[in-house]
Parts: sequence; structure tokens; C-alpha cells
Amino acid sequence: MKKLLVAALLTVFSTSLFAQETEQNTTPQKAHYNTSKFKQLHEELPTPNNEHRASGAVGHEYSQQQVDYKMNIVLDEENSKIFGNETITYHNNSKDNLDYLWVQLDQNIRAPDSNTQEISGGGPDVMYSPSKFAKTFMGKPFQGGFNIEFIKDVNGKEVSYLINKTMMRINLPKPLASGEKYVFKIKWWYNVNDYIADRGRSGYEPFPDGNNLYVIAQFFPRLAVYNNVEGWQNLQFLGRSEFALEFGNYDVTITTPKDHILNATGVLQNPKDVFTSAQHKRYEDSKNAFENPVFIVTPEEALAAENGRSKETKTWKFYAENVRDFAFASSRKLIWDAMAVNLNGKTVMAYSLYPNEGNPLWEEHSTRAVANTLKIYSDFTFDYPYPQATSINAERQGMEYPMICWNGGRPNKDGKYTDRTKKGMIGVITHEVGHNFFPMIVNSDERMWTWMDEGINSFVEIYAEYIYDPVLFPLTDHPKNIVRYMSGDQTGLEPIMSQGEDLTDFGSNAYGKPAAGLFILRETVMGHELFDHAFKTYAERWKFKHPTPADFFRTMEDASAVDLDWFWRGWFYTTGANDIGIKEVKKYYVTDKPTERAENMAKRYGITIDKLPPALYLVSEDSPEFKNDLKSKKPEDYNLLSDYINENFSSEEKTELKAPKYFYELVFEKPGDLIMPIIVEFEYEDGSKERKQYPAEIWRNNDAEVTKVFPSSKAITKITVDPDEQTADINLSNNSWPKKTENKFEKFKKDQIKG
Amino acid sequence: MKFKKIIVILLVLPLFAFTMHKYYVSLCEIEYLKGKQSIQITLGVFIEDIEFTLNKNSGKQLNLASKTEVGNIDDYYKKYLNEHLQISVNGKNQPYKFIGKEYDGDIVRFYLEITDIKELKSVEIFNNILTDDFSDQKNIVKLKVNDFNKTFYLNKSNHKSLLKF
Repeated sequence: MKKLLVAALLTVFSTSLFAQETEQNTTPQKAHYNTSKFKQLHEELPTPNNEHRASGAVGHEYSQQQVDYKMNIVLDEENSKIFGNETITYHNNSKDNLDYLWVQLDQNIRAPDSNTQEISGGGPDVMYSPSKFAKTFMGKPFQGGFNIEFIKDVNGKEVSYLINKTMMRINLPKPLASGEKYVFKIKWWYNVNDYIADRGRSGYEPFPDGNNLYVIAQFFPRLAVYNNVEGWQNLQFLGRSEFALEFGNYDVTITTPKDHILNATGVLQNPKDVFTSAQHKRYEDSKNAFENPVFIVTPEEALAAENGRSKETKTWKFYAENVRDFAFASSRKLIWDAMAVNLNGKTVMAYSLYPNEGNPLWEEHSTRAVANTLKIYSDFTFDYPYPQATSINAERQGMEYPMICWNGGRPNKDGKYTDRTKKGMIGVITHEVGHNFFPMIVNSDERMWTWMDEGINSFVEIYAEYIYDPVLFPLTDHPKNIVRYMSGDQTGLEPIMSQGEDLTDFGSNAYGKPAAGLFILRETVMGHELFDHAFKTYAERWKFKHPTPADFFRTMEDASAVDLDWFWRGWFYTTGANDIGIKEVKKYYVTDKPTERAENMAKRYGITIDKLPPALYLVSEDSPEFKNDLKSKKPEDYNLLSDYINENFSSEEKTELKAPKYFYELVFEKPGDLIMPIIVEFEYEDGSKERKQYPAEIWRNNDAEVTKVFPSSKAITKITVDPDEQTADINLSNNSWPKKTENKFEKFKKDQIKG
Repeated sequence: MKFKKIIVILLVLPLFAFTMHKYYVSLCEIEYLKGKQSIQITLGVFIEDIEFTLNKNSGKQLNLASKTEVGNIDDYYKKYLNEHLQISVNGKNQPYKFIGKEYDGDIVRFYLEITDIKELKSVEIFNNILTDDFSDQKNIVKLKVNDFNKTFYLNKSNHKSLLKF
């Protein structure tokens, strides 16, 4: 230990010595590894294998587990409890023998001994409700979490298990061989939480009329993912990073009070038993309602139901094929409307269930927003493969499950709502329904990589929302809206390639930044045609499978022949930001008199100037060699050039030749860390404008500054870098020539006084 | 033991923070321009969040940034800002002039100015914008004095920052 300390001291000492020496410039320079920002990602991406190919495609040895669930669920509204009896069939499709299975017990984050509270820091809250005070300080925590009554095998024999917080290990009596299946049963119950008081994605929303709206999810023990990337994905659930789940078939019955209306993942198997005959007829008729949403359960029926408190029950039966999870929503307050959506000849149902409190906003927009989302996302990826998609109105929610999601947003009590409420509501519905594609079908590991579902989903969401309402959701907001985050202090930033729990600003990092990055790729770097094909290829390749970040990065390049390693490296693996500016503009004129540079070149070759081949030269306006009369000279005034043109081009070709008169040397600076294309707008003396885009690779040999010569037939009066703010440039003060002297504050102040 | 039910105070918690593209943050950019003897302050806040707080405090529906926005909305803004954003220059609390506000998408941006500052020796910023209602609220303060840049992250439990030159 002591030795180490001495060594450390020595290091400090020698470093300071070293610093002094540097000042005197006597130390030889140190070598370095390849620090090019264009260096390929070989060291960052995992080695390709026969499951995840170097092309980003699914390998020929790819395997994936399947887990089927048969469940009987009882919602006991009176006691706010849920009871479940589930039979799990685990198919081991991997090449490995498994000694144990890991099961996720997500409800345990509400258990009194949960780690979720323990790890969250911060000072005291502003105020405490009595129940919260008792929970927090008086040892009366909410008795949440799973109560496991038994775990048995098919023969009724008890199965040994161990619970570690939100994960449960099933100790198999003998290893489960590759290709074999294991069937076991779990009986459980838990206390349903008031999610308005306690936060969370699941629970009930209480209403002043005494009714609850149940939005129930993460509610049953679910198998963790086993694959060749993470082994068992058994990172604990802490509340933020979401889920990694296997696909399978779900056969579920749910028993509720008789006056409840309910929808869930999958397709209702017994509509006749649970609807009135009028509702059942409307349910069937709605399958042809392609134009506008129609009611299955009307607002009047919902109003009538919410006054009742039936002691009787009824049982809803659902079947869902090839889904990775199951959720349901239930209340006597629910209206249900429906619209049929035609996706290339296949009919998919768009549903919304909401209380009267959601109207008139919900009957106007929810189901239409669901239908729009299914169409636009299908265009970007593949036709939505499930039979339905449902949007449930639960206040202060925004959470996604297969075929069903919870969305907040309601009008005021008087039924009025602002554009912002409407925008928030359409935004959250589009986002959550969009999650059906990412990650419900293109099933990335949410526990590990939040950005892979949230970021990619937020990207497609931009276009779906824009198409639904271009005024509320203008495309011009992007990628500008990420600039504030990216220009923040570096200590508060993490690379996108971080696990969700480690993020300081979760929303900006995992949602906004990846979405903005993909937007830049599509709109500015790759263009629609190349991007869209590659993006679709990724979605097609990995639907109903478990892709990794490398599969996405590789596919986008593999299908487009665009090298994007520089983009992934900068935007996804670092916290860098983009700042490109125009540093200097020099005007040049043409002469046939050799310049000093030419003389120096001749000297280097050991010849005299007159031995140089005949040539034209460019002279900078501010060089001593510049003579004022050059200003009036056009290039074709020099016989040297005009003779050449006359000899080599037909008169037709001559008319197509450009006639540059001015030559500009443009020096672009890049104080920012990121690589980006340079987009330049030139404004000419006659008021006309022209755009030029230099590819990102312009920065290959010099990361700080590049110089370009730009010929022009008209004098340039103004140059703007990235005039439409397409590249998330965090500093616009260096984007213009001549430099703007007035800052945004002063411009605003001046406009205020004028106005 | 039985608790008598008194008044049910619904504490509104930022549930969205988990689950959708919503995060709680404000950005206050402060720049001192010696030549103009001026401290220019630009403060951006999410409209939705400040509306929640102003509605709650006033007991009214203010309908920010909509056709039905109340006429004297700037009075509400000024009152709120004066209570929750305070700036001391050279050890003395300096009131700022409310130049105006602009709505930009989801954000309202306030332009505030302190004039006649010949020399800047220290700045102290007190900023607890929205932390009463949103426990996850982060208030970012960016300070620019000549070529010197400094960023502070303020929150519910830490709402003051001081910088001396």
C-alpha cells in the first residue's frame, strides 16, 4: 500500500516536471493511437457471430426462447387486490442447457423492502400528505409487491425458488436441455396501488365519484430474457429502465365486477358474454367503420354504469399471439369507440377507451390518432401485424404495452381545452401506440438500452405527428429542440450509449437526442431514399426478435453504403456537440502574372518562372500582389483561357460554361467536437440565394478548420452556415459572414420597442 | 389508531418523467456586457409547467399561449419571476426590468435586463422556479462574462449559486 502511495506521489511530481519541460519545448512528442473521428467502430461494436451478423442481419444460428402463459386473473375492486393463477410453458430454443430460470417480479418495487426508494436521493419534499408522511417516516409503508402462494410443476410438486428483490430464480429439478420445455404454475396476489399518489406505470386512478380506473401492467411474474448477448437479462428493475421480455402466446381470463368495461392485449374471445346485445352488435359493426370512429360503449352507457356498484362478476377471455407482454385496463367509467384501419388490404382495429371526463377531446382525436400512427409507422417499417391497437385515457400516464397503452391528457371540467392539451394528448398517444413497433415487435432490450426503443420510436413519432397535424407538430422544431441539451455543461451529459438508470437527463438523452440524430441522418446526411430503405431493412430484419445497438448501426450502413461510423461514434458514443462557423472569407481575382507562391514553387523545382507551363493564378484581395485593375478583369479576358476555350469547346458547349468572376476562399472553423456536413447559403448582390452542402468527410484531415475555394459570377454579400438549423449547431454566433453584432436579446428588445 | 380525514391534498407528481418525452427543466442564460453596462437575462420555461403553477397559485385558468389567454398575463409572470428568480450583483439585490416574453413551441422565454452595472465583482443567483410543484425540476443557469462561461445546475434542495470575479 505504501509503495503505491510513493509511486502515486512520484507520478504527480514527474507530471509537474513534465509540464515545465513542455513549456520549454524540449520534450519529444508522444505517439498516440488512432484518434480520427472517422475511425471505424471495430473496437466499440461486439464481434459479429452466427446470431448477430457483421451486416447487422439475423444470423443463421439465431435462436430465441418462447414463453407461453395461461392465466386466470381476478380483479377484486372492493379490496384493491389482484389474484392470479398462471401456467407458464418455457421453451428452451437456445443451444444451451439451463440450470435455472429467472422470472421478473416487477411489482416488488412497491414492496416495503424495495431498493427503488433506497437509491433515490434528494432533499425533503415541499409537502407531505398524511398517508405519505406515515409511509415515509412512520414505518407504515404501502404493502405492495407480489405475494407468491405457491410455485408447482405439472405434477403438483412444489418447485424450489429464490427471490432477490425484483428477480426470482426458479431452481429446476434437472437442467432444461436445448429444445426441451418446462411447464410450471405460479399462484400469486398483490395489493393494487393508487398510481396518482405513488407514481408508476400501473395501478388505479381514483375519481371523485368513487370509481377507479385500473390500468394494470407488470402484474404477473414474467420470464426474463435469456440470450447470447446478456445471458440472463436479470438487471434489477429499479423503476426507470423498462423491460426485456420473450415472445409467446397468452391465453388469459380476467374476472371483474359485472358493470366494468375492459380491454386488453390480444383479441376478446367472448364478446357475447361481456357486452349487452346492443354493444355486441356495435362491436361487430365497427369492423367496417373505415371512415370515422363509432361507439361500442356509448358515453350514456358509461355515465349510467358509473353510478352502479355491482357485486356480481363477469369474466373476459383474451387470446394474444406472439406478443412479449400482456396488460389490461378496466373500469365502469369507460366509453369505447372504434375505427377500422386498412393496411394494404388487412383490417386492423383502432380502439380508444376513456371516461366521460376525457370528452370531447378523446372522441374527437384518440382513435384517429391511433389509426394515423398505425399507418405512418407501417410505412416506415412493416404492416402492423397485430389485430388491434388500443389507447386508454388514464391521467398523467404515458405507457406502452403490446396492442394497448395508457395516455394522459384531458380537457378542463367545462370541456374546454387548449391547443397545448390537445398537442400533449395527440403526442402521447402517437408515442405510445408507436411503441408497438419499437420495442413491442422490434424487440430491443429496454432494460439495457433505453434509446433503442424510446429514441427510435420518438424519431418515427416526429413524422406521424406532423402528418396528423402539421400546424401543431411542425418539422422545423427538429433537430433544433435538442440544442439546449447538447450545449449543456459537460458534467451533466452522458453518451446515448449508456444504461438508462445512469442518465442525468433521461428525456433528452434517451428520447430527444437519438430522435434528433436520426432526423439529421434522414434529412441532411443520407437523404430519404437511402435512409428509408436502410431503416425499413432494420425493422424487417429484427421484427419479433431481439436486436442490439450494433445490429441497428450495422444495418443502416449495410443497406445504404453510407459510412456512418463517424456519426454513431460522435452522436451516440460521446457527449460532443456540433458547432461549425465561417471564420474568414477572402476574395480572389484572376491574373496571368505568376504569384509569389508560383515563384516559390518554381524555385523548389529548380527552374525559372518562364519555364512554368502557361497558367492562370488567383490573387487575394489583401495580398501585396493585388492590383486594383484586376477587379475589372474577367477570366476570359486572358487570351490564355479564351484561346483554350475556343480550341476545345463547341459553341454549344461554350454556352453551358460557367463564367465565374469572383473567387472566394472560405475558411470554416469547427470549435464543436462533432463531425457534420457543412451547409452554406450564399446571398448575392442581386438578392438571389444559393446553397451548397459539403459532405461530413470534409473534416477527415483537419478536425478544426477547412478551407474551400468557391467561384461565383456574382458578388456575395452574405454567407450563412446551416441557415435552416438542420445540424443541431449549438452556437449560431459564428454562423454568419459578415458577423452579426446584435445578439438575440438585443434583437428582441429592439422588436419590443418597435412593436 | 384512526386518522381523521382532513383535506385531501392531491400532490401532483411528475409521473411523465418516467414514461414519455417529458422532463422538468428551465434554462436561464445570463450575460454581462461591459460595454453596455448591462446584464441580459433570458429564461426559458416549459409553458405547461409554469401554467400548472400559475393556475394553482391564482386559482384561475390562465390559458397561456392560447387565444383565450388572460389579458394581463405579464403581471402574473412578473409577480412569479420576482419571487422565484432573484439576482444580486456585487452583493446587492438588483431588480431587473421585464423586457418581454415570447412563446416558442412548448417554451415561454422571458427577457429581463439589469442596467447600469459598471463593473461586475460578483453575481448571486437565487432560482427556485417550479421546484415547489415539480420535485424533479432542474434549473440550469448559464453565466457568460466576457469569455468566461460557467453553468450551474440548481434544484429543489439547492437553489442558489454565487460567483465572484
